[in-house]
Amino acid sequence: MIKVNNEDLDFTDGMTVEDVLRIKKYSHPMITVIVNGKVIPVDSYSTHKIKDGDVINVIHFMSGGC
Amino acid sequence: MAGKILATYEYTPAKVEKGYAGKTLYINLSEMTIKEKPVTEKMKEIFVGGRGFGLWYLWNAVSSDTKWNDPENEIIIAGGPICGITQYPGSGKAAVVTLSPLTGCPMDNNVGGYFAPLLKFSGWDALEIQGKSDRDVIVFIDGNRGKVVIEDASDEPADTHLLAEKLTERYADSEEDKRNISVVSSGKGAENTLIGMLNVSFYDVKRRAVRVKQAGRGGSGTVFRDKKIKAVVVKYKGVTGDSNNPADKEKIINAALRLHKEIFELDKLQNRMREVGTANLVEVMNDYDLLPVMNFQYGSHPDADKITSKVFREKYFTQNVPDNCWYGCSLSCAKAVDNYEVKTGPYKGQKVCVDAAEYETIAAVAANCGIFDPEYVIEANFYCDTYGLDTISFGNIVGFAMECYERGIINKEITGGLELKFGNADAALELLHQMARGEGFGKIAGQGVKNLREYILEKTGADPKLLRDISMEIKGLEVSMYVSKESLAQQGGYAFANKGPQHDEAWLIFMDMVNKQIPTFEDKAEALHYFPIFRTWFSLQGLCKLPWNDIVPADNAMTDEPHKIPAHVQNYVDLFNGVTGKNITKEELLLQSERVFNFQRIFNLKMGKGTREYDMPPFRLLGPATKEEYESRAERYDKQLKELGYDIEGKAKEEKMTMLRQYRESQFEKLMDAVYKRRGWNKNGVPTLETAKKLGIDFPDVVELIAKYQV
Amino acid sequence: MKIVKSRPDLCTGCRACMIACSKVLYKVEDPDKSAIRIKERSGAESGYDIFVCNHCGKCISICSVEAIYKAKNGAVRIDAEKCVGCYMCVGFCPEQAMFVHKDINEPIKCIACGACVRACPTGAIYFEEQD
Repeated sequence: MIKVNNEDLDFTDGMTVEDVLRIKKYSHPMITVIVNGKVIPVDSYSTHKIKDGDVINVIHFMSGGC
Repeated sequence: MAGKILATYEYTPAKVEKGYAGKTLYINLSEMTIKEKPVTEKMKEIFVGGRGFGLWYLWNAVSSDTKWNDPENEIIIAGGPICGITQYPGSGKAAVVTLSPLTGCPMDNNVGGYFAPLLKFSGWDALEIQGKSDRDVIVFIDGNRGKVVIEDASDEPADTHLLAEKLTERYADSEEDKRNISVVSSGKGAENTLIGMLNVSFYDVKRRAVRVKQAGRGGSGTVFRDKKIKAVVVKYKGVTGDSNNPADKEKIINAALRLHKEIFELDKLQNRMREVGTANLVEVMNDYDLLPVMNFQYGSHPDADKITSKVFREKYFTQNVPDNCWYGCSLSCAKAVDNYEVKTGPYKGQKVCVDAAEYETIAAVAANCGIFDPEYVIEANFYCDTYGLDTISFGNIVGFAMECYERGIINKEITGGLELKFGNADAALELLHQMARGEGFGKIAGQGVKNLREYILEKTGADPKLLRDISMEIKGLEVSMYVSKESLAQQGGYAFANKGPQHDEAWLIFMDMVNKQIPTFEDKAEALHYFPIFRTWFSLQGLCKLPWNDIVPADNAMTDEPHKIPAHVQNYVDLFNGVTGKNITKEELLLQSERVFNFQRIFNLKMGKGTREYDMPPFRLLGPATKEEYESRAERYDKQLKELGYDIEGKAKEEKMTMLRQYRESQFEKLMDAVYKRRGWNKNGVPTLETAKKLGIDFPDVVELIAKYQV
Repeated sequence: MKIVKSRPDLCTGCRACMIACSKVLYKVEDPDKSAIRIKERSGAESGYDIFVCNHCGKCISICSVEAIYKAKNGAVRIDAEKCVGCYMCVGFCPEQAMFVHKDINEPIKCIACGACVRACPTGAIYFEEQD
């Protein structure tokens, strides 16, 4: 099990940041991904492996008409 | 007689110093008089400019009994001290203030186009129009010659796409001169509904076309046409980067270059505003279940991919032309569709340039009515603009009427034969044309969702509770285009907003619902204190909100308070100090806003509203109001109830709905208490005497008014 | 046309080019009003970077008032009469070769006159024919 924005998510072997974003449907372009307190650069979303028990924060920024 | 001059006023244009011209142009259309009023140091100190000036003039013009269509009501258009600088993106905005026909309270809009900068450089910080003419008029301000005239406009068309172009041609000396003209106009729709808006034009040099931006919300166009104004035109030639005579231009330049570079490097990776404008939000909101679908019943729809920015980008938006609505805005979100051939109505067959389409419009006229057709969006966008109708209110009205129709609450007898089913684009467009003509069901629907609800109740004997739950208006204004059901903070953002449920005060859904950054009531209250106040500041200055957080510096996420975009807040401090020569801090920046924000709340009170009861939303804003909505997200709601400790085993849907409703309503009440407390208001939502005093808005009439509501 | 090119390794940082440029453009000897800029490298690397316009013309489409145009000789020029001093082109210049000064409304930009080339004592800047 991992934590994504304070909610539980099932962990699967080989899971990457990109997978987490896809499962959570986090498609907003203005996000910052922080895994266990460390910011993950955008270009490593597809390669950065998640470990079981990781705490992930995907911070969304406001945008647009809002 | 058409074209006849009804009044003339000659003046020596004031030189703008440190962002202020120091004068206001006052026009009374009942008396056909024109005069100037000084902008005092006290006004600048307390109200700063823009919306602040508008509210102050309006406060002094109206009494508690004044109605929107009384001659005392005013329309005030004002930029603000920063307005008109050409270097920093988003610096050409006008605040428009008037008593709203929908809410009976002051309405504010923040609109692009060239009007406010050209007005200021013509010598006027604000334009204040009072009274009512007995015939249609055009007000023309020539800022180079120093002349204001009121002309008979009986023979002019009302609809904007005709009038703005005609007047730009008439008042410009040459093609080259057209960029020096800005026209404020509305349309036939504004004459025959309460959801009329104002268009503010600018000339797009590269397209060789007149473009328009909208002061959309709350019926400002309706007041404009009620005063029999067809257009207000300003002409000023000679804009340079120094027209504001700033105190310290270097401060402005440095901030501007930082932002231009950020936009150059990062916009393509962030919101792609330059490419698709705010339309990028359609797909985002649909993915996060936040896109209003079918009168806010749902937050997404499988057909939404037909109206995403991708579709508009590939098939409709003209690319590679600068799409800014004032000089220097490199964010350039103002997209347009060129050479669109109109398919319906009186202008069928004409080829037009449509300022289309922004997220709010796409969501309102399309998704919220269950219509997923991009060409319908452009058609409806064109007609709303030229008729002078607010697309957000229009989409809400149609969505509400369609839901009532589908639920069997209204039928063809009521709609005059229109089959108002979700997805029926032809019926929606016919209703739009009826609104403009002031005929049939369009005339009734054009009175807004609240009045339409009252009409339906009277005609049908429908369940008033259900109708209130599903009519998406608060204070009489229709809700803008975000589903707030899963974000308590946003429910407050909408419900407590001074002018009514518009997202420009606070947009907290991601912080609250997705990021889970503001879990407690105190956290939410803090956000609902800070953001509405901060965001008010743009409309005091003549600034646009978008360059604040629709582009963020690469290192923004590493800052202490990334949601405030600290680097951009510092830019705004620099801009204000650079223009005015003052030396404010970011805390003083907030204080400027907090004053005006509270003054507006107290103004609502003056108009007999502005207390807790007027901050109550329809239940659909808080959660699933109908069985269909609950069912569609049953897993989510069941899970929430279980986590809250409710025993839902074997319970019927109705019972579960009642549990959820009771819970959410109690949460909302608690939020109200927390927010009012944080803002320095009492439990009834009225600023306390201490708050008014602390902010320096404890004028005798303010104190007398709020004293009545202190217990 | 001929455009200004550079060999930064030959630059001594004397800034004679900047003085010459400001003289041609604004009739003053003020390096802050020059359209060519010499900047000393920071950090471990020593030497100078030279920023000067290559007349690529990308700024032409950035300008919303059509104040930037290609002149007959091929140089990309600014029409000071039309320019509203917004500096979008400055921020969007891929070569970072447009500059601003608080007393000058329009951006400061190379006109390909060659004054800087003639002033350079080391040959660090030179003229080269380009299509």
